Amino acid sequence: MSALEELLAYPGLWRGRGAGLPATAPTRSSGFAQLDRALRGGWPRGQLTELIGAPFGSGETRMLLPVLATCSREQRRVMLVTPPATPWIPGWRQLGVDPEGVFVIRATSEEDIIWSCEQILRHPETGVLLAWLQGSRSAPLRRLRLAAGAGDACAFLYRPPAVASQPSPAHLRIRWQADGNRLCLEVIKFTGGPLPAGQPVVIPRDARCTGM
Amino acid sequence: MRVSTGARSTPGSGRDDPQLTLLPLASPERAPEPEPVPGQPLWLAVHLPHLALDALAQTDSGSSKPLILTEDPARPRVHDANRAARQAGVRPGMALADALAVLNAPIVLDYEPEAVRRHLLTLAAVLLQFTDHVCPEAGQQRVLLEVGRSLRLFRGAEALEAQVRYTLRRLGYTPRIGTARTPAAARLLARLRHPARPLDRDALRRTLAPLPLTELPLPAADIQALHGIGLERIGDLLRLPRQDLTLRYGTQLPELIDRLLGDLPEPLPRFHPPETPAFHLEFDQEVSATGALRFPLKRLLLQLEHTLRARNHRTQGLELQLLHRGGTATRLTLERSQPGSRVEEWLELWNIRLSRLELPVPVRGLRLAAPQLLPAGDDSNGLFSSRDGSRDESGFLARLRARLGDDAVLRFAPTLHPLPEGAQEACSPDAFPAPPGGAATPAQHVVGAALWLRPLQPASPPGPLDWLGRLEGGWWAGDDQRRDYAIAPDHQGRLCWVFRDLRTGQWQLQGFWG
Repeated sequence: MSALEELLAYPGLWRGRGAGLPATAPTRSSGFAQLDRALRGGWPRGQLTELIGAPFGSGETRMLLPVLATCSREQRRVMLVTPPATPWIPGWRQLGVDPEGVFVIRATSEEDIIWSCEQILRHPETGVLLAWLQGSRSAPLRRLRLAAGAGDACAFLYRPPAVASQPSPAHLRIRWQADGNRLCLEVIKFTGGPLPAGQPVVIPRDARCTGM
Repeated sequence: MRVSTGARSTPGSGRDDPQLTLLPLASPERAPEPEPVPGQPLWLAVHLPHLALDALAQTDSGSSKPLILTEDPARPRVHDANRAARQAGVRPGMALADALAVLNAPIVLDYEPEAVRRHLLTLAAVLLQFTDHVCPEAGQQRVLLEVGRSLRLFRGAEALEAQVRYTLRRLGYTPRIGTARTPAAARLLARLRHPARPLDRDALRRTLAPLPLTELPLPAADIQALHGIGLERIGDLLRLPRQDLTLRYGTQLPELIDRLLGDLPEPLPRFHPPETPAFHLEFDQEVSATGALRFPLKRLLLQLEHTLRARNHRTQGLELQLLHRGGTATRLTLERSQPGSRVEEWLELWNIRLSRLELPVPVRGLRLAAPQLLPAGDDSNGLFSSRDGSRDESGFLARLRARLGDDAVLRFAPTLHPLPEGAQEACSPDAFPAPPGGAATPAQHVVGAALWLRPLQPASPPGPLDWLGRLEGGWWAGDDQRRDYAIAPDHQGRLCWVFRDLRTGQWQLQGFWG
């Protein structure tokens, strides 16, 4: 039964009578119904997603945990490139992410970081890439977009707020901001369709709500 | 030591024609021979007349610059010379001064017998893939192989010989190979580059008969004496009665004949390779760019691959030393998560590592060692990618580590330690300890499912709080800790993971919730 549900949840499946919006690209459900609607199915796979905002630790990682847990169940790797802090693995495990599949890559130069991300995205076992990019240049992202297209991983790039006004080759760009008990997500670029109109998507960042 | 003279005459046997080595040597004058019977002893002598020259890595391949090796520092003579020098008229044995007179700015290097001996032993280890009975003869720059029992596996003597030749050529050596039913005859044929493969006694006699007596490994005085009684060819000697020869020349000469024809067995020791293989290569010029190291390194890796294949072993880590002048060395190591022996796998990793290296001083040579060998399993990649997280078929993690450093790729394994800062340990991606017993411990549950850990730092008392739970632990180890954990949003919007130390009342920032 769960297999059927999984199949029905797949946005590429046309179900007649317009049960959902026609999807254009493979996605992974974000775990939040409102966000899935805004993203036309979920987080895009094989594409770059920029998450723009600050400061680190506002709930922008927790927001992705449903995706990470899904990948972990599929035994695909979660690759963290240059995270600003050490992941506390017991916490990740409680949220359904298998510690064995979580890799942390440390690199210092921008060239190394981009190269590592490229390698990771091209590898078939990568499920999700989370990369914290400090540099403000958008040019290296073109290489990453090509690499992302070679695989089907979800590629999330955390970038500082200053880059929001620059052009970027990313498929999807989202600006996030903490607001009390919530995290406001504003889509500022979405290739292949109109921007979701109206209010920013708001997802709870309550302590106990893990989004599972 | 006998040194071969003269430039090579046949163009097909030059060292620049590796593609020809795949073909068996054509010998139109030779009638078809019966195939050797597998199981009967058959000896292959691999003679390397230019070993000292081959042992040097040519930093610019196909160079036309003359290069000579000199020996005997008291009265320098030419030991061997490369093609360019030989074309200018330099011959082994010539005085160095004469050689310098005909050459324009040659590279002059010292002949090092020890290095040559080392190379011969390396080749012996490589040749172990063709047979288990290998005997290097260091003084003669020769390796003898007993291949009688390998013939069926390698599909005949001709194919086996071609494969030995091809293997050595690929490694950068120029072998001369002779095949015969006795070691003594094989040596003789190898030195003469004789194409025949005499398998029985009569054929051997026929093959040896027309050869000049001077080819026999006899003292010059003996040869002189034999010439004196009118003998010119080996056939003349073979016709003489054995007893008379013994009376006239002692037992040495008849014994040599018996060994040649196989009437007297010649036991040869078996070569045993060293436990941990190591490979050396010296350059003809100092190298100061890492790009120039790739070609010699590939040659070393090829030697490694063949040696490991011969021993049915693989390796997981390699150590490369860049040798500098004055005995210093730069040491580099590479570890992979999967053992392997193939050149391509290792070369890519080394290229990544070397391209990131700044050479402090010029490099004179390379030394490659495999510190630990593992028994070979199945040395092939699976058809389908395995979903087992600990395996790394394509060397993906190894590539990352080669470029970023060994400690740049980490995983964290949970432990049973109650305090969050001790609840996990970093481990390399190869070794992941089995998680200790099921899910998180109660202590880890009580502090909540935070995502990020930071080094402890004192925090100011936060505003509104979301309490998580109380952790008491460490008292059994003399480190009594009582902490109340909470999530505290700060004014920047971060969700801080904080605790209050109940003994001191001090707030500490442990990490971030999200």
